[in-house]
Amino acid sequence: MTNKPPGASTGPAGRKARPSAPTPEKLREDQLTGKQRHRHFFSRLDYKYSPYLYVAPFFILFALVGLFPLVYTFVVSINDWDLLGGAGEWVGLENYTAELSSPLFWNSLFNTFSIFLLSAIPQLAIATFIAAMLDQNLRAKTFWRMSVLVPYVVTPVAVTLIFSNAFDEKYGLINNLLQVFNVDPVAWKTSVFPSHLAIATMVNWRWTGYNALILLAAMQAVPRELHESAALDGAGKLRRFFSITLPSIRPTMIFVIITATIGGMQIFTEPKLFNASSSVPGGPDRQYQTTVLYLWDLAFNRGDFGRASAVAWMLFLIIILIGVINFLLSRKIASSGEKRAGRRPARRGRRAGKTAIPASGQDMAEARRRNHG
Amino acid sequence: MVNQTLNRAAPLPRRKRSHSFTTESRPGFLVYGILLAFFLGSTYPLWYSMVIGSSDSGVFASARPPLLPGGHFWSNVAEVFNTVDFWAALGNSLVVSSVITLSVVSFSTLAGYAFAKLRFRGREGLLVFVIATLAVPTQLGIIPLFMMMKEFGWTGSLGAIMIPTLVTAFGVFFMRQYLVDNIPDELIEAARVDGASMIGTFWHVGVPAARPAMAILSLFTFMTAWTDYLWPMLVAPQTPTLQVALSQLQSARYVDYTIVMAGALMATIPLLVLFVVAGKQLVSGIMTGAVKG
Amino acid sequence: MDITRTSRIAKAAAVAGSLALLATGCGGNNNATSEQPASPDNPITLTVTTFGTMGLDDLYTKYESENPGVKIQATNIDTGGNALTDWKTKQAAGAGLPDVQAVEEGWLGQVMTVSDSFTDLRDYGAGDIAGQWVDWKVQQATDDEGRIIGYGTDIGPMGLCYNADLFKEAGLPSERDAVAELFGGDNATWEQFVDVGKDYVKASDKAFYDQSGFVWNSMVNQLDEGYYKADGTLNIEGNTQLRERWDLLADAASNGLSSGQTQWDWGKGQAFVDGSFATMPCPGWMLGVVKGQIEGAGGDSTGGWDFADVFPGGPANWGGTFLTVPATSQHPAEAAKLAQWLTSADSQAAAFEVAGTFPSSLDAQQSEAVTGANDLTKFFNDAPIGKILANRAEGVKAQFKGPNDSVIQEQVFGPATIALDSGTDGQKAWNDALATLKDLDIK
Repeated sequence: MTNKPPGASTGPAGRKARPSAPTPEKLREDQLTGKQRHRHFFSRLDYKYSPYLYVAPFFILFALVGLFPLVYTFVVSINDWDLLGGAGEWVGLENYTAELSSPLFWNSLFNTFSIFLLSAIPQLAIATFIAAMLDQNLRAKTFWRMSVLVPYVVTPVAVTLIFSNAFDEKYGLINNLLQVFNVDPVAWKTSVFPSHLAIATMVNWRWTGYNALILLAAMQAVPRELHESAALDGAGKLRRFFSITLPSIRPTMIFVIITATIGGMQIFTEPKLFNASSSVPGGPDRQYQTTVLYLWDLAFNRGDFGRASAVAWMLFLIIILIGVINFLLSRKIASSGEKRAGRRPARRGRRAGKTAIPASGQDMAEARRRNHG
Repeated sequence: MVNQTLNRAAPLPRRKRSHSFTTESRPGFLVYGILLAFFLGSTYPLWYSMVIGSSDSGVFASARPPLLPGGHFWSNVAEVFNTVDFWAALGNSLVVSSVITLSVVSFSTLAGYAFAKLRFRGREGLLVFVIATLAVPTQLGIIPLFMMMKEFGWTGSLGAIMIPTLVTAFGVFFMRQYLVDNIPDELIEAARVDGASMIGTFWHVGVPAARPAMAILSLFTFMTAWTDYLWPMLVAPQTPTLQVALSQLQSARYVDYTIVMAGALMATIPLLVLFVVAGKQLVSGIMTGAVKG
Repeated sequence: MDITRTSRIAKAAAVAGSLALLATGCGGNNNATSEQPASPDNPITLTVTTFGTMGLDDLYTKYESENPGVKIQATNIDTGGNALTDWKTKQAAGAGLPDVQAVEEGWLGQVMTVSDSFTDLRDYGAGDIAGQWVDWKVQQATDDEGRIIGYGTDIGPMGLCYNADLFKEAGLPSERDAVAELFGGDNATWEQFVDVGKDYVKASDKAFYDQSGFVWNSMVNQLDEGYYKADGTLNIEGNTQLRERWDLLADAASNGLSSGQTQWDWGKGQAFVDGSFATMPCPGWMLGVVKGQIEGAGGDSTGGWDFADVFPGGPANWGGTFLTVPATSQHPAEAAKLAQWLTSADSQAAAFEVAGTFPSSLDAQQSEAVTGANDLTKFFNDAPIGKILANRAEGVKAQFKGPNDSVIQEQVFGPATIALDSGTDGQKAWNDALATLKDLDIK
């Protein structure tokens, strides 16, 4: 069985509360010969400075290709900066005020949030449901778990091309089916709500199974004893699901929502490739032009690097804000989980309370990993 | 305080539950039916792309799209190969994704090991920095990155595609979380008492212990690199990765959905193969990475 | 152009990061100062990027066989709009441009702002052969300093595509010359066009033209000054000429003349086959597109499509292309040679036979290949396409294209004409267009 996570291989040694790192200082200096002392000197150097060498590649590369560009985005954003012409005059915050008063910018934010809501809510509901189905004593358990993950290996570009075809307004599968049921064809690519729904469908298709597995993992961590004792008290399956399973996986659900948000804020590929025949990226009237797509259009079609950078920074701040809300939210849930945990068997307490900082950290990481763009 | 919470977030040993299964009854047909329906929904779009991708362009002239594949798949694939250099794109994607994976996993293991098991001044502060940067959407730095690549004259090279993702904060954090619990300190101490150097200890104790986590990190890093579209499209459209080539196929032939669909299917096959080979690991990776209940 | 803060800071970063980044291994540009001519011993590959339907594919093969050692690697992009984004991104990146880049007339405003990043073709003999093109074509490709940066391929004189079968069904004349007279012959106006359209709609209960965007493009392109005045200032708000035409278009759309098709898509070509509309404004190069669309949808030359020697509102030119050699080319001499060959009279005539791209070369316009019958003329009911286009080209003048001409066409009036087609009234659509113009901050 490979569904046992690597973490499960932890031996008893892994549970030590604090690492007690080996220290060469423990060796008694006066017992060393000259040669040993020489070696000892290098060993000390090795001991003292090696860790910095190990972490250095990460920090140096990250500073160069991660942080520097972000900071420099700000520099670009306070200048008049043209794609072809290069840097112009310093303009202060003019690019920001221009964008904040531009209906196109707000339109892109509206579209981004709308597509996000349309994908997050059904996705969470269905993923929870599927996870509950998977969290049973199934035959061919591994097969079923793998089966929900198939869409995850289809890349967003391929997903978009396939769905773009299915959602074609005149000859697509979906409108054809609608006609069979005597429903008028829907303008999937040229009206606001249907196009958001179509794009959300692509996101949902690719990610629901993935999230179902995350929620499944959380459900499996719910102690069986709780279910068993509730069952003895006469609680039915449905009742147990709502009063035991759901509350227990709440932190994980928050986690799924947050990761979906951060990924969703940066959605690009789907709206970019959804309607290849539109001369305006994101629909003829920007019906589904998301913020990152708007940023790309601003920078590389309209050639305004300055304003595009201002948009990048504002989106950056929005994502950071969401990160902070995440932090506060997960702390709150962690502390309420702590209270609940008090009534549980002692060893569950540790699990219930551990969502604070690292959870938010991992959320971010997860969001990056599932980068939609 | 940070340290305390960090330790609490360490991957926990999961309790085996198999004993409870014996007392639990098998679910009824309804559950299998629902899962089967979900499975069909998950795979139908691929089937649909097969159907369209194997038809000729007259398929849209008929009132209703067909349900079964036609006989034109190979001629459509030939047309895909005519329009974009599929094999070169596949090669580019393999190179880019492999190098990124190698880099991310190596540097993450190295740094994760140091954060988990070595003591050094400033460790806590640096670790907080890593965690803080997990939240940073580096994708938004594309404009300066684009200018940098231009300035270095690297635009269009595979190197330019890789550079922004050669390291990730996630990787470091992930490895640190895993290693903190999975290397007994006694082992490291013993190695040192035997006179092993720091790097020797890392190599003989750290790496073997890190292997399962490295495998998972590799899978996800590879997937992320493979699916990336925005940056490769911007910086190297002339040496396209598979995703960029696929979008170019759409932009060259969007009138011919049959050919675009054949291309989409062709581009999906490599990952389907990966899925067949490593699907179980993907499932367990997702379930492990996620447990923080 | 780059002695700016960008370069200084980027260079600082370059120094700091060179150690780490060099590991990924990327060579710099070594510009060959002297260029060996290509030969089997010195094989080179020339990259060419084109768009739309330019009819060059067979010519590449021919050139390769006539010039051993040269291999041509061609990329074609579907629409001019996508090709423009592609060019701009690569231009901004300073790399990735092909050896020969096709440039559309509408981009000239932007191209000319960076004209020094194109090879001056006078270095390769452009000055001596400039007489082979219609003079305005050469002028368009000449920058302020007199450098010639592109060789003209085609021009886009416009005639009227119409479907004879549908005209007949609606009780209208269907024979080519009669159709030309129906719209007013040499004095054809847009008013007349709309009137005929209304009759057609009444008689057939079908739309008259495919969508309003192309009609609008035609209306704008035939004015002396379009979105920009010749002095480079924006010319939209308060432009009564433009506004009158807009109102006429709105009248047409509100009377059901437009079929509301998606540009460049036409329901995968179906709309050409199923009788959705009966006319379309056609520059020469559009004929190849129409043929491709019809064939893609399973239709053939029996579908009734024809090409009439008439165009409302006077002579009009839409589009037309140049072949340029970006300065980044490693083989500028070979690239210039290829561009020159591809735009020679013979090549232009050959491309015309395939794609209907009407030559900008005077000799080619007179050649038998252009005036005679070919696959394309057969497809359009044996219409003498070459002769018609030559007639349509008379009196065409080059319109000044401003820096944002293509953005205005694609992002301002593109959506506005779609709005007309979906029922928005003319006044509102016009106001929305002006608002978009402001939102996009176009100057």
